[in-house]
Amino acid sequence: MLPCGVHNYSYAKDMAILRTKTHWALFLLLLALGGTLPLYCSGTWLAVVILIGITIIAAVGLNILTGYCGQLSIGHAGFIAVGAYTSAVLTTTYHFPFLAGLICAGLMAGFIGFIFGFPSLRVKGFYLAIATIAAQFIILWVISHWDKVTGGQLGLTVPFASIAGFQIRDDFHMYYLVMFVAALAIFFSMNLARTRVGRAFVAIRDNDLAAEVMGVNLWIYKLLAFFIGCFWAGIAGSLSAHWMGSVSPEGYSFMESILYVGLIIIGGLGTTVGPIFGAIFIRLLDQLTGIYLSPALTAAFPNLPSGFTTGIGPMLFGIVIVLFLVLEPRGLAHRWTLFKFSYRLWPFPY
Amino acid sequence: MAQFTQFLFTGLSIGLVYALIALGFVVVWKSSDVANLCLGELVLLSAWFTYGMVEQAHLPYYVGLPITLVFAIGLGWLIERLALRPLIAQPILSLICVTLGLAYLFRGIMYFIWPFSVAALPRLFPTTPIHIGPAVVSQEYLWAGGISLVLFAGLTLFYRYHKMGIAMRATSDDQLAVQACGVPVTSIFSASWMIACVVAAIGGVLLAQIGGISWGLAESGLKSFSVVILGGLDSFLGAIVAGPIIGLCENLGGGYLSAIAWAGIKDVVPFIIILIVLFIKPYGLFGEVRIERI
Repeated sequence: MLPCGVHNYSYAKDMAILRTKTHWALFLLLLALGGTLPLYCSGTWLAVVILIGITIIAAVGLNILTGYCGQLSIGHAGFIAVGAYTSAVLTTTYHFPFLAGLICAGLMAGFIGFIFGFPSLRVKGFYLAIATIAAQFIILWVISHWDKVTGGQLGLTVPFASIAGFQIRDDFHMYYLVMFVAALAIFFSMNLARTRVGRAFVAIRDNDLAAEVMGVNLWIYKLLAFFIGCFWAGIAGSLSAHWMGSVSPEGYSFMESILYVGLIIIGGLGTTVGPIFGAIFIRLLDQLTGIYLSPALTAAFPNLPSGFTTGIGPMLFGIVIVLFLVLEPRGLAHRWTLFKFSYRLWPFPY
Repeated sequence: MAQFTQFLFTGLSIGLVYALIALGFVVVWKSSDVANLCLGELVLLSAWFTYGMVEQAHLPYYVGLPITLVFAIGLGWLIERLALRPLIAQPILSLICVTLGLAYLFRGIMYFIWPFSVAALPRLFPTTPIHIGPAVVSQEYLWAGGISLVLFAGLTLFYRYHKMGIAMRATSDDQLAVQACGVPVTSIFSASWMIACVVAAIGGVLLAQIGGISWGLAESGLKSFSVVILGGLDSFLGAIVAGPIIGLCENLGGGYLSAIAWAGIKDVVPFIIILIVLFIKPYGLFGEVRIERI
C-alpha cells in the first residue's frame, strides 16, 4: 500500500524498490549507519553483527527454497557445511584465491542441494522433510570420515580471506565483506520474487498441481529452487569458514538446521524482510541470554544445576518457535507490514 | 556364520524396537496428519526420566517404570493441548515446524537437568548371554525384541477391536464425518499423542538397556523415520514389516560394510535407505497412495 498522495505515472516507477523521497532518505540513512557501524561498535558486538550477516545470507537461501517455493528443507546446515568445506579445501590444499573459492563453494553446495532435491520431484511435505534430514546426516557423515580431504573430526584450518592481494584479517574489514554479500543476497531475493521464476516458485508453493496445469515445469523449478537455496547456503558457509579460520563437523549439526527453519518462521516465510528479522532476532536472543540473562539468573539462584547455562538457550528457542507458530504464524514480517500501514495512514484508523 | 547369526538376531531385535517407536509416529499421523519430528527427543527424554527415577531417586524399577509411563501420558497430553491443538487446520509446514520447536525445547530441558550426556540404566534383564547355535547374543536384545512384539500385537488388537481404537481409525478416515457422529475428535488427537509418548518411552527404556543413554538415542528415534518411510506412513503392517528390515540392514550393512567403508556406516544406512525408497516407491511398501485433486 502506498502512502497518501503518492501516485505512479509509469510502470517503471510502479516497480521501483525505492519509490518516494522518504524511501530514499531512509535508504541513505541506512547506508550511512551501516557503513559507519564498525567505528562505534567493536569487539563482541561487531562479531555478533557479522554473525547476523552470515546468518542472513544462509536464511535468504532457505527462504527462497522453503518460503517461496514451499519445499521444506531441514538439512540446511549440511549444505552450509558443504560450502564451508569446499572453500576450505580449495583454498588450503589447492591454493585457490578466496573469491574463486567463494564462488565454487556456492556452486558446489548448490550442486549437492540439486542432487538431494531430486526426491522433491516425487514427494512433498513430510516425505521431503525426511529426505532433507537424510541429506543432512549423510553429508555430515561423509565430512567427518573423509579424513584425507576434510581432516575428519579435527577439521581444517582455513586461511584469511583475501581479495586482490588485500588480506581480511580482522572483524573491521570482514564486516564490510559480509554486509556487501548480505546486501547482494537480499537484493537478489527481493528481485527474484518479482520475476517469472519467483512467481513460478510461489505458484508451486500454493498448489503444485495447479501450477503444473498452468504450465509451470515442476522439474525445472523445484530443482532450481534447491540450487538457488543451497547456493546461498554455500556462500554463507564459505564466508563463515574464512571468518572463523577453521572448520569442523560440530558446527553444522542437525540442531543448526532446525534453527534455520525456526528462524525463517519467526521472521516470516516468503517475505524479503523475513530472514533479516529472523536472523537478528535469533542471534540477539542467543547473545542476550548468553551475556545477560543466564549470568543474572545464576547469580540470583546460586543452586541452579550446572546444565543451566547450556540448556536455557535451546529451551528459550524452542518455546519461541512454538509461541510464534501459535500466536503469529506469519512472523515478524507481518507485524512490520502492520506497523507500516498504520504509520502511513496515521492519524486515520484504517 | 556365527557372526551372521549374531547380526541377524541383534538386527531383528533392534528392528522390532524401531518398529515400536515408529508405531508412535504412525498413530499420530493416522489420526491427525501431524508429522511428529520430535520422536527422537521423546525417546531420549523418557530414557533420561527413567534414569532420574531409578538411579537418581533410587526407586526400584517396579515403581520407577509406572511413574515414567504416567509421565509419558502427561507429556503427550500437554504437547497436544498446548502446542498442537491451537494449530489444527494449519498448513503442514507449521505442523512439522512446531514439533521441531518442541524438539529444541526438549533438548534444552535435557541439557538443563542431565548435563552429563552419557549414563547407563541399571539392568532390567538377566545379563548372561544366550547361545543360539554358534552365535552369542546378549539377552537384552531378545527381551527388547520380544517386549516390542508383544506391545505391537496389543496395540494392533486395541486398534482393531476397542471402541477408542475404532474411533481413531474412523478419525483418520474422515474427521468431519466422525465429528458428525458425535466422536470428540480433539480427545482422539489427545489420546493418539499419549499413545505415541508411551510407546516412545518404552522404546527409549528398551534401547537404553541395550546401548545406555546418550545423544545417540535421539538419532535412533530419527532412524525409525526410515521405518515409517519404508513401511508407509499410515500402515501398522508396514511398520512391523519394515522395522526388522531396517534393523537387519543396519546391523548386517554395518557389520559387513565397515571393513570396506568408513567407520560409522551403521548410523547412515537407514538414511541411505530413506533416499532410495523415496526414489523408487515414495509411499512405502504398504502406504496409501494419495491421489490429489486440484
